[in-house]
Amino acid sequence: MTEMLLVLIIVLAVFSLISRDLIHSVIALSAISLLSALIFTLHWAFDVAITEAAVGAGVTTIIFVWALKHTSRKDI
Amino acid sequence: MIRYILLGILFIIGMYALIFHRSVIKKVIALGIVNTSVVLLFIISGSSIGDAPAFTGEQGARMVDPMVQALMLTAIVIGVCITSFSLALIVHLWGRFETFDIDTIEKRGDDES
Amino acid sequence: MKMKTAAVHVIVIFALVLLAGCLFIPDDTPWPTDVRTRLVSDGEKDTGAKNLVSAIYLAYRAFDTLGETIVLIVAIIGTMSVVESVKKISDDPTTAVTYDFSLVKEKRSSHKLRTHLLEVVTGKIGPVVLLFGFYVMGQGHISPGGGFQGGTIIASGIMLFILGNPYSKVTEMRQNKILSTIEASAFVLFILVSLLSILTSGIFFSNPLEAAGVKYEYYIIALNALIGLKVGSGISLMCIAMMSRRRT
Repeated sequence: MTEMLLVLIIVLAVFSLISRDLIHSVIALSAISLLSALIFTLHWAFDVAITEAAVGAGVTTIIFVWALKHTSRKDI
Repeated sequence: MIRYILLGILFIIGMYALIFHRSVIKKVIALGIVNTSVVLLFIISGSSIGDAPAFTGEQGARMVDPMVQALMLTAIVIGVCITSFSLALIVHLWGRFETFDIDTIEKRGDDES
Repeated sequence: MKMKTAAVHVIVIFALVLLAGCLFIPDDTPWPTDVRTRLVSDGEKDTGAKNLVSAIYLAYRAFDTLGETIVLIVAIIGTMSVVESVKKISDDPTTAVTYDFSLVKEKRSSHKLRTHLLEVVTGKIGPVVLLFGFYVMGQGHISPGGGFQGGTIIASGIMLFILGNPYSKVTEMRQNKILSTIEASAFVLFILVSLLSILTSGIFFSNPLEAAGVKYEYYIIALNALIGLKVGSGISLMCIAMMSRRRT
């Protein structure tokens, strides 16, 4: 189970690094956070899972979207 | 064993993009990926000695290591601080150079100075 | 030139593989269990916390937590000052100051519908998330949760509130003031509580009211609440400063 989720995380990481549309990269990054929160739950680290879910899906996404709104959605 | 190799691959992907990607915002994303891989490594290693949550009680003798969880908790909160500060700097750079390309920023910064 | 770049790439990848092999692949040494043994036998007796993670970061390694809150406050100060300068560059100061919290900028036909959906849903979810954040913060010593976890959930709840009513200029100003006051006072109280124990018991970060019969558990609850308020107000302050902008 953990290995499967890790493979999914690697695929999402590669996608978020090669995508031309930065909004897609940010969504993939927040999906990585959610999947790693799932892995933390599977490994009995509930405190870390709560923090990672709140930070990764909430705060980081808001900050990235703010930055993209002030700059550009297209990568170089 | 195979999970550690996968985590190593994740770390290599993040570090490679952090070094060689030309877009600064992708560098910040790569930093987040490296952070996630290290946190995952610690949590997975720490859970190798037990299979119960870190609470006192009858399962105490076979619970996971609570030490790594406390350390990784602080690492995640510091990670979001680093992300927000670097993104604020990136928006500041965009206001001056209108590009994400690190080479262009470097060249034009040298020209202006 | 191209050959050279490719060589650099290959060398760096090779070095990274070696580094990751050293760092990530474990050898035969088993993970140490001394900390666990000690915590299982003494943890609840020393700190009164059933959740041993809380026991570690609030009692055994509370000094770490103090350093981390300082790092957090420095990062927030830096981010907010940079954000203010961004606003000054991109905006004309003579125009009237209004605040706009909506995340979507483009003018498409579904814009209005999407914004209403966003407002209604986030306005309903926000209070529930906020309540859950306070629950996680307050129950940190007996269940999963604590200051940092509850603080980040509170920040998410405040974000949902703000997305729920996007056009209120007055709310934003007042919230900014309230949040910065909460953060500063929580930080000062945290330092005062940690210094108070030097006067009463001579040890940094121990229960200052132990002689008066107050259990260590209540000290941990107080520290959890202070850290949660500080982290939550700080992160949401940072997000509010980022999301509000002067509309020209």
